[in-house]
Amino acid sequence: MHKLGRGHRDKIQQFITITGASEKVALQALKASDWHLEGALDVFYSQPQIRSFTDTRHLEELYNRYKDPYSDMILADGITLLCNDLQVDPQDIVMLVVSWHMKAATMCEFSKQEFIGGLQAVGIDSLEKFRERITFMRSELKDEHKFREIYNFAFGWAKEKGQKSLALDTAIGMWQLLFAEKHWPLVDHWCQFLQARHNKAISRDTWSQLLEFARTIDPALSNYDAEGAWPYLIDEFVEYLYENGIIQKDDYSQKQ
Amino acid sequence: MTMNERKTIDLEQGWEFMQKGITKVKNILEGLPEQQFSSEDRIMLYTTIYNMCTQKPPHDYSQQLYEKYRESFDEYITSTVLPSLGEKHDEFMLRELVKRWANHKLMVRWLSRFFYYLDRYFIARRSLPPLNEVGLTRFRELVYQNLNGKVRDAVISLIDQEREGEQIDRSLLKNVLDIFVEIGMGQMYCYEGDFEATMLKDTAAYYSRKATSWILQDSCPDYMLKAEDCLKREKDRVSYYLHSSSEPKLLEKVQHELLSVYATQLLEKEHSGCHALLRDDKVEDLSRMFRLFSKIPRGLDPISSIFKQHVTAEGTALVKQAEDAASNKKADKRDVLGMQEQVFVRKVIELHDKYLAYVNDCFQNHSLFHKALKEAFEVFCNKGVAGSSTAELLATFCDNILKKGGSEKLSDEAIEETLEKVVKLLAYISDKDLFAEFYRKKLARRLLFDKSANDDHERSILTKLKQQCGGQFTSKMEGMVTDLTLARENQTSFEEYLSNNPNANPGIDLSVTVLTTGFWPSYKSFDLNLPAEMVKCVEVFRDFYETKTKHRKLTWIYSLGTCNLIGKFEPKTMELIVTTYQASALLLFNSSDRLSYSEIMTQLNLSDDDVVRLLHSLSGLKYKILNKEPNTKTIAPTDYFEFNSKFTNKMRRIKIPLPPVDEKKKVIEDVDKDRRYAIDASIVRTMKSRKVLGHQQLVLECVEQLGRKFKPDFKAIKKRIEDLITRDYLERDKDNPNIFRYLA
Repeated sequence: MHKLGRGHRDKIQQFITITGASEKVALQALKASDWHLEGALDVFYSQPQIRSFTDTRHLEELYNRYKDPYSDMILADGITLLCNDLQVDPQDIVMLVVSWHMKAATMCEFSKQEFIGGLQAVGIDSLEKFRERITFMRSELKDEHKFREIYNFAFGWAKEKGQKSLALDTAIGMWQLLFAEKHWPLVDHWCQFLQARHNKAISRDTWSQLLEFARTIDPALSNYDAEGAWPYLIDEFVEYLYENGIIQKDDYSQKQ
Repeated sequence: MTMNERKTIDLEQGWEFMQKGITKVKNILEGLPEQQFSSEDRIMLYTTIYNMCTQKPPHDYSQQLYEKYRESFDEYITSTVLPSLGEKHDEFMLRELVKRWANHKLMVRWLSRFFYYLDRYFIARRSLPPLNEVGLTRFRELVYQNLNGKVRDAVISLIDQEREGEQIDRSLLKNVLDIFVEIGMGQMYCYEGDFEATMLKDTAAYYSRKATSWILQDSCPDYMLKAEDCLKREKDRVSYYLHSSSEPKLLEKVQHELLSVYATQLLEKEHSGCHALLRDDKVEDLSRMFRLFSKIPRGLDPISSIFKQHVTAEGTALVKQAEDAASNKKADKRDVLGMQEQVFVRKVIELHDKYLAYVNDCFQNHSLFHKALKEAFEVFCNKGVAGSSTAELLATFCDNILKKGGSEKLSDEAIEETLEKVVKLLAYISDKDLFAEFYRKKLARRLLFDKSANDDHERSILTKLKQQCGGQFTSKMEGMVTDLTLARENQTSFEEYLSNNPNANPGIDLSVTVLTTGFWPSYKSFDLNLPAEMVKCVEVFRDFYETKTKHRKLTWIYSLGTCNLIGKFEPKTMELIVTTYQASALLLFNSSDRLSYSEIMTQLNLSDDDVVRLLHSLSGLKYKILNKEPNTKTIAPTDYFEFNSKFTNKMRRIKIPLPPVDEKKKVIEDVDKDRRYAIDASIVRTMKSRKVLGHQQLVLECVEQLGRKFKPDFKAIKKRIEDLITRDYLERDKDNPNIFRYLA
């Protein structure tokens, strides 16, 4: 420790606060990622061998605490209880991140394997650790790459089983939740547009392309190309924006 | 031996003798009195040279004589030629020059003969310039080099005089310019460098001056006349006295100054430009315009674009005219509206005839103008009139021509010709599939209701369509026409069957048209509850059909049927020609006198729309076979109907029409559905072969593939792509959402 500079020591400290790992593990991970905290965290969570030991017995107990009395799964009630324990609102977007870590197939459900496997993978074996980790999970949404993964995960997670597309109401709810996190000024117009003009389910393609659109096209649409491969719903949204004078037309007409 | 003993001639002595000969030549050239050379004289001169060159060194004077030869020219030129040229000017100088050049050439010929022996050995051995060349070079260096500037200016000023209409001595110019060519001794650099370049520059300046004033004072046709005249005269000029290689350069200059420079100004002259010429049908001026501008690079582009604008405007005006007429007549009867559309198509055909003739005659069949015509027609032919697309109008137009008692009364040739033109117009329509569908609907009506006037015409238009749009386009229609022939044969054998099996006879004359499902438009089938009498018919026919074929399913389309009923009315018995629907409704009244709307509906098993339609036809004003309660114009679900036994008509046989359902919406929907499949197929076909493709290319490929049938809308293609993504035929590339991959 004494050999390290102040900056490095701070990072180790942060790493330990976030992961709850030992100093040795922290040093190892940080060195491996050339002292980038983010990178080290990635390394830490993606490589099981340096993950801190989790006790399956504890996880088993934790699982049983939330398990539905009539089936081998955690269902809505269990999740409500879990949220209470974690002191998190069930509507909180962080629950989406939790589900993402658990690779949950469907909203409001965790199978035993998802729950235990998921917690194991992130190195949680107690409610305290879980609660501590929530802050970090929330911060994961700030990471652009992870956000995209979570965003794309959300489609499959939120849609009805056996359906190919996502019901419009659910989709709008998810978008409002997600884009509150990753600020996109047009989200409200988008939702209004869908209700006014579309009123049908959303395909996976439209779902994932919307994030690309929000990410790459600036809110004034100056770099929008009508000839591009955007899904037609997005093209129509752009037309809607111009028609309703939400975006000024002059720039657009030049491009036409 | 005598040769060796020959007396040696020394240089001075020999040269003195030669000099005499040379002086004699000069005198002859100058026209001084002198005797002609005799052959002995010439032999002596030659021999002297020969002897002087063949003496043993140091008495071999070859080198000296070669120099003396050259000096003789120099001496003559400086002493005589230059002074005589120097004192003359302009045309006179030119004449003198021509004379001097002719003399010089003569002198070279004489002298080179005298000195011929030099050419044979001395010059050949030392690779020196030959005598002839030395002689001509002297003229070039001493005379031509000094004077060519002056000569050129004199020539050009004469050309300019001629351009202004004066008479000039063309042969003089021809001779002078020949000097420029000859002096190059086989090469053109003297002519080109010393004369042509300046002449072209002068020409450009001359016509630039002319054009500046003409363009202001003359109308476009006058200006073109002048330009054409100038070009002709310049071309003549070349043939009179310029070297033929100058023609393209000269004409290019004139064209540039007269046409290229003022092209826009000329073509867009307000009252006489290209627009005005097209408007006023100035065929000759347009032809001239084409001739002139076809010669300058990209000269036809603006004309073809004006032509396109003009035709587009004319066509759009027709559309507007038809549109106005349609909205004015809306209140009137429907067939009047039909007439308007008929007139519109006629006018479009006339417009096409007119401007196609322009393209062929005025514009010499040039591809640029064919393209302009095509693009112009594509613009307004795809606009549609009063809610109908041109595709539909064309199909209706054909129907009117081909059906019995259509609005057009034409001779066979005229019909053929008109059909030919309609098919030509079809090339400009992007929704060819829509035309095909409407055409098929109307063809079906013509064939099934025996309304087709002439089988030959039906087949002939199909042949034309096939040529224009390909076999796939017409295969169904051809199938329909063939089907009908087969159906007739089938009917004959059915009648035979009935006469052979008298107990199978249902007691009603029955004629059935058996058609192939795939060829014909789709119709509702098995919808009606047939009256018992007719059910028997159906069964009999089914039995017959099963004896002929196996594994074929008969589907009955009652909506297309016709029945002849005998109506026993109190005043008299009449024959009613009605549709199967109407007949079924009327037969209900055989068993009960009074029926409610809902009873009729349930007994017939038809939809509200159908029931209203057919009750309206039976209880309407014209043929009131059913009395309605209450006696109002519209049919309501609460109405009651009663057989009107008092009904009569002055005819013994009446046809009660059932207004056809407007099929337009269905046709458009059908076409839309077919298009979705076509786009899907095209995308999958493309992606299957390419595997990975960018969005733009994929869209272009589809448009390309489908263009023969219809013009797919980009949005529609996009929707289909997305649908195929959902159905896991395609996926977006993970890194580039603009690229699609085929999932096999």
